[in-house]
Amino acid sequence: MQLTVNGKTYEADVEDDMPLLWVLRDELGLTGVKYGCGIAQCGACTVHIDGMAVRSCQTLAGSLEPGAEITTIEGLGAPDALHAVQQAWVEHQVAQCGYCQSGQIMQAAALLDMNPEPSDEEIDLVMSGNLCRCGTYVRIRAAIHAAADKLKEA
Amino acid sequence: MNRIAIAVASIWVALAHPLAAEEAEAVINVPPEGSVSTEDGLAAWERVYEVVSNPRCANCHTGPDNRPMWSGPSYGKTRPHGMNINAGESRMGAETLPCATCHITSDAPNTVPHAAPHVGLDWQLAPVEFEWFGKSSAEICAQLKDPERNGGRDMMGLAQHLVEDAAHKGFVLWGWSPGGTRVRAPYSLQQHVDDILAWGTAGQPCPTN
Ligand code: FES
Ligand code: FES
Repeated sequence: MQLTVNGKTYEADVEDDMPLLWVLRDELGLTGVKYGCGIAQCGACTVHIDGMAVRSCQTLAGSLEPGAEITTIEGLGAPDALHAVQQAWVEHQVAQCGYCQSGQIMQAAALLDMNPEPSDEEIDLVMSGNLCRCGTYVRIRAAIHAAADKLKEA
Repeated sequence: MNRIAIAVASIWVALAHPLAAEEAEAVINVPPEGSVSTEDGLAAWERVYEVVSNPRCANCHTGPDNRPMWSGPSYGKTRPHGMNINAGESRMGAETLPCATCHITSDAPNTVPHAAPHVGLDWQLAPVEFEWFGKSSAEICAQLKDPERNGGRDMMGLAQHLVEDAAHKGFVLWGWSPGGTRVRAPYSLQQHVDDILAWGTAGQPCPTN
């Protein structure tokens, strides 16, 4: 099948029932997306499909619409031009071990696309499906507010 | 195109049509008028109630707090859906976290225990008027026979709604094949459609408690 990931077209020879997570990691070598649980309980595998945050462990390769644009953490910003959420994450030193953070950042970026000025409560409603075993939740919230301010200035 | 090819093509068209008879997951057989007594109608209703109050149906038929529930043997104790999920007034999480973040749209079977289930329609809560979770048999019966609160449906409308949802491999059909370790709805989809029609033919009698 053909996939568009981070603006690049890939060819992958996979079964329809292979989760997108494994297509990205094992077939395309995009290992920024993480495996935490495989059952939609943790959010570590979050990517965007056509701008919407989804759990790639639940998304079956065969269920992708033709032409769907997939974005992973590798394509959200570039090292010399970070996305506002990535910048805020660095400034707030959000990551502890870092394992959950690519999923957190992808979910947060989708949140700010939908709601440019979320309240604490709105952040909690959207981000509660993304677990962090290191407990960085307070910094995640602060960084989302900071990224919202950055995006407003931009 | 030769004749065989045309015949094959038309079979494909027939198979692809969601409501084609070959594909129907359940059929509508309306009992003759007057053939179902009130007593039998009430018995049919009680079976309908067993279905609609089953966790597979009731967990997503929740009220104006827009929170899906986790209940039934596969969850142990009854609690709101984990991850602080609130489906919002859109009932599909458009203003919060879309249900589709985890519940994809696919008619592939659900095989993985504890994973987010999927069906052939976009995952969502039922409309808020269809609040079933924790409601009594009498309350749900009154709601289901009230066109103001049931999407304007008479008994045929209710039966057609079930059959059409099933033809799209939707939520109704999934209730009987939920996969994983989830408890399934009792009886069968066909029995449920038959019971709705028997209850309707009897004049939609409701328990009084
Ligand atoms: S790996 Fe997908 S939600 Fe945990
Ligand atoms: S930073 Fe370690 S799991 Fe979140």
